[in-house]
Amino acid sequence: MNASLGLSGVGGKKTMSRTFFGDTWWVAWRELKHFVGEKIRILMILVQPFIWLALMGNMFEKMASIPGFPAKSYLDYMAPGVVTMVTLFGGIFGGMSIVWDRRLGFLNKLLAAPIARSAVVSGKMLAISIQSALQASIIFVIARLMGVSFHSGIGGAVMVIVLAALLSLVFAGISLSFGAMIRSHEGLMAVMNFFTMPLMFTSNAMMPLSFMPPWLQTVAKINPLSYAINPMRTLFLTGWNVRELVLGVVILALVAFLFGLLATRLFKRSMA
Amino acid sequence: MDTGGAPGPASGQAIIQVRDLVKTYRGGVQAVKGVSFEVMKGEIFGFLGPNGAGKTTTILVLITLLESTAGTATVCGYDLAKAPDEVRIRIGYVSQDIAVDETLTGRENVALQGHFYHLDRPTIEERSREVLEMVDLTDRADSLVSTYSGGMRKRLDIAEGLIHRPSILFLDEPTLGLDIQTRTRIWEYVRNLRDREGITVFMTTHYMDEADKLCDRIAIIDHGEIVAIGPPAELKAGIGGDLLLLEVDGRPAPGKSPTGEPDDAGKAVAARPADASDEAATAAASDEAAKFGDFLRGLEGVTKVSTADDGRWMLVVKGGEEIAPKVLAAVSGQGLVVRSLAMKKPTLDDVFLHYTGRALREDEGASGFLRQRMSLRRARM
Repeated sequence: MNASLGLSGVGGKKTMSRTFFGDTWWVAWRELKHFVGEKIRILMILVQPFIWLALMGNMFEKMASIPGFPAKSYLDYMAPGVVTMVTLFGGIFGGMSIVWDRRLGFLNKLLAAPIARSAVVSGKMLAISIQSALQASIIFVIARLMGVSFHSGIGGAVMVIVLAALLSLVFAGISLSFGAMIRSHEGLMAVMNFFTMPLMFTSNAMMPLSFMPPWLQTVAKINPLSYAINPMRTLFLTGWNVRELVLGVVILALVAFLFGLLATRLFKRSMA
Repeated sequence: MDTGGAPGPASGQAIIQVRDLVKTYRGGVQAVKGVSFEVMKGEIFGFLGPNGAGKTTTILVLITLLESTAGTATVCGYDLAKAPDEVRIRIGYVSQDIAVDETLTGRENVALQGHFYHLDRPTIEERSREVLEMVDLTDRADSLVSTYSGGMRKRLDIAEGLIHRPSILFLDEPTLGLDIQTRTRIWEYVRNLRDREGITVFMTTHYMDEADKLCDRIAIIDHGEIVAIGPPAELKAGIGGDLLLLEVDGRPAPGKSPTGEPDDAGKAVAARPADASDEAATAAASDEAAKFGDFLRGLEGVTKVSTADDGRWMLVVKGGEEIAPKVLAAVSGQGLVVRSLAMKKPTLDDVFLHYTGRALREDEGASGFLRQRMSLRRARM
């Protein structure tokens, strides 16, 4: 790009991929600025894992003594569940920002610029996954401080964070798809609330599969949450299971990509 | 449609060319019904019309945010449909929403916009300083926008629209909901942009004074159609002279009154003496009104006689200062009492009335809408 003119070198086909990544970053940068600006939210992110782990850990402690329970303590079992749960809540409301941007007119301003249209969606997804990775790291550290055991070292910890980031992309994609169609934040909130609890309780975040009725086990197997929880839990409780880990990463990445495409498509259509 | 005042396409300086543009929304609402116009390089061109006339829709099509249903348009020489990105890098857009990001500083807002236009960092740094200076925000550039007043936000929004040095700046209702001092300042900035930077400005407004004072040429748009186009002075001159507003005892002006009760006042005055029949009296009154209208029409210098929006007689005269006393004398000579006589130069409101038969009133709807937006913005914090 020619700096003195500033206009040349933009818009040509060959620069499209470069502008896509750049645009994605700047859309994400703005979202992250919002995130960092909300001090109360950051405080909650730090406090929440303590509450979850302490409260839920104690409440269901007896479950660990049931024959066939796969962990020594419920807290150990619960920790990866808390990571995924917080990731779910973080990602599922990611569509709100698109509703706000549309309402406040920022979306029009963004689209009047020569940015790649798909970068609006991918940028928001990127920001959400960075936030989720950050949250996952915090929960991980807090869980370790509370005595949760972990059996796969630094590499395993990194994988936990990667899985959380990928999982948040899936929910962000779902949320942004609805956010592209629904014009009110109340409406989007209602739809997303409708999703969160069923997603949570049809997964093995809180309870082993073997404790569930057969039909619920089937649902849990296709729930994207399970593809993050299973490898994550193995990393916590026993150690490396590469096959399970690769399967989880591939499935999550694929589903995230598909929802990202869907969200982009719906978003483009909503602007016509 | 009157396209007088718009130079032909052969002049070669048109920076925006629009032909038979139609926009129908998905629900079937036809917001723009086939408008054609040209904007010349370096002019301030305004779309004047009431809310819902199709102004914003036209802007959204021209800035490539909406696809037109029919018709063609080129901006900076590029077809909107074929090369939208070429258009985008050459234009700036400032919406009526004041879409600045409160959680960022003024400088960050401008810089972010620079990144969206793919400028490199040194360029962004230099230009940010430049455009913030242009709108007098240098002192507050590093404060969070949440601490800015409404006028400062608007100025920042305009600065953002300039970061990539566009050839055309699109301003959608640039002073909507701003106080009078701020409006005057915004006008100054817009004028400077054109005078010093040579930027072409396309703006919409429903404020007549704004269109009158700021625009080199305006298009009056109503119900999705352009009803008149030209420089404000020319449009006003098109009415044919000055306006005399006349009230005469016992001779109310006929026809339409804005309240929808035609000749109500006339009835009251005329009906009392002749108790016999109301209808006969009304007929007699309107007959008298018609005769009096013809009498006025026959006076020297009077070119048109009609009923004003408020029910007074409205006379279009050549040279109001000389004709007014003559009208007064002539009416008095008929043994009638002139209750009031006012003269005024035609405004764009009169032009609007002339072409559409309705008055262009500044309705409260728009500012109410803005208030709602502002409270929404606060709620978000």
